[in-house]
Amino acid sequence: MLPPLKPIAMKERVSMIFVERGQIDVLDGAFVVVDDGGVRTHIPVGSVACIMLEPGTRVSHRAVALAARVGTLLVWVGEAGVRLYASGQPGGARSDRLLYQAKLALDDTARLKVVRKMYELRFGEAPPQRRSVEQLRGIEGARVRETYKNLARRYGVKWQGRKYDPTDWDASDLPNLCLSAATASLYGITEAAVLAAGYAPAVGFIHTGKPLSFVYDIADIFKFDTVVPVAFRIAAQEPPEPERKVRLACRDMFRETKLLGRIIPMIEDILAAGELEPPRQPAESIGPAFSDGENLGDAGHRY
Amino acid sequence: MLVIVTENVPPRLRGRLAVWLVEVRAGVYVGNPSKRLRELIWEQVRDGVEAGNAVMAWTTNTESGYDFETIGANRRIPVDFDGLRLVSFLPSDSKADAP
Repeated sequence: MLPPLKPIAMKERVSMIFVERGQIDVLDGAFVVVDDGGVRTHIPVGSVACIMLEPGTRVSHRAVALAARVGTLLVWVGEAGVRLYASGQPGGARSDRLLYQAKLALDDTARLKVVRKMYELRFGEAPPQRRSVEQLRGIEGARVRETYKNLARRYGVKWQGRKYDPTDWDASDLPNLCLSAATASLYGITEAAVLAAGYAPAVGFIHTGKPLSFVYDIADIFKFDTVVPVAFRIAAQEPPEPERKVRLACRDMFRETKLLGRIIPMIEDILAAGELEPPRQPAESIGPAFSDGENLGDAGHRY
Repeated sequence: MLVIVTENVPPRLRGRLAVWLVEVRAGVYVGNPSKRLRELIWEQVRDGVEAGNAVMAWTTNTESGYDFETIGANRRIPVDFDGLRLVSFLPSDSKADAP
């Protein structure tokens, strides 16, 4: 008999696979896409951070179970990767990480420290002293608009601001379409990393009130150095298949910057800036009745 | 690292491949040649494959860490998933039906 399946570390995975059409099922224990003509394509499900399922795909119960077992995030996406719904092994499989994240988010002093660390990593300098989260957000908004304008100028792209309608994809202009496709890819792998590290995507520090608040917090740190310039560069070329081009370029960029290996250590680093001890187990709590066996490692794995 | 798998190729090609590579199983060759030698080897495969088919895979700096090339008819054909190369397996009644 084969031993049970275990997830591998995020940094050992390729970033993403987009599946356009076909029936996704498990054949002989492998994750397989079968199209109308009976052509089977194996997807190395355990070696991918997230699988983006586009309109036209159907997924079997067993396939979802297999993805969960190997810790791969399935994201159901609309046109050009707009996230609709995601599943895999649910986030928050580690209560210690979740409680730590919640403790930091609930403590005003700690939260501000975390937010300041996020801005420091993002802009490469410490933000001005004695500013509230609200004020920092204002400073950030202005810098973001400026960054978009500068990048548009550098790549010679006509820019009229970040405008998009999630319900009407084709209404966007080309630069906005490229940006949406690029950020969708980034959010997918960031969510996979956040979940793999055992944190909750919804418990954000700068962003709040969205299912992916924490994902946006983390993704924003490297978004403007990585996928945003890629999106503008592709938009300037005005290619016939802009979304595909953007994904290809994002994949190259994820590889070159070794992003998947960097996200989880960065999350730990940011949360450590809150300077709070991870919560201790109460003395009266009961430990697990049986062990789930050895895992391949610690952070960077799903449990 | 380079791996070549051949199916139904003439013995002279198999002998030729064994000049540079180690045949670890029937028709499966392994080695670690330079890019130049790899291209030379693949040229010889192309010239000598005849009715058979072959695939060559080698380590590169792509995201998956490898790339591959095929020659000759086979039910397994390479497909491109937005820059990531996978393999599709055609059903048995398809035209490219070969051993």
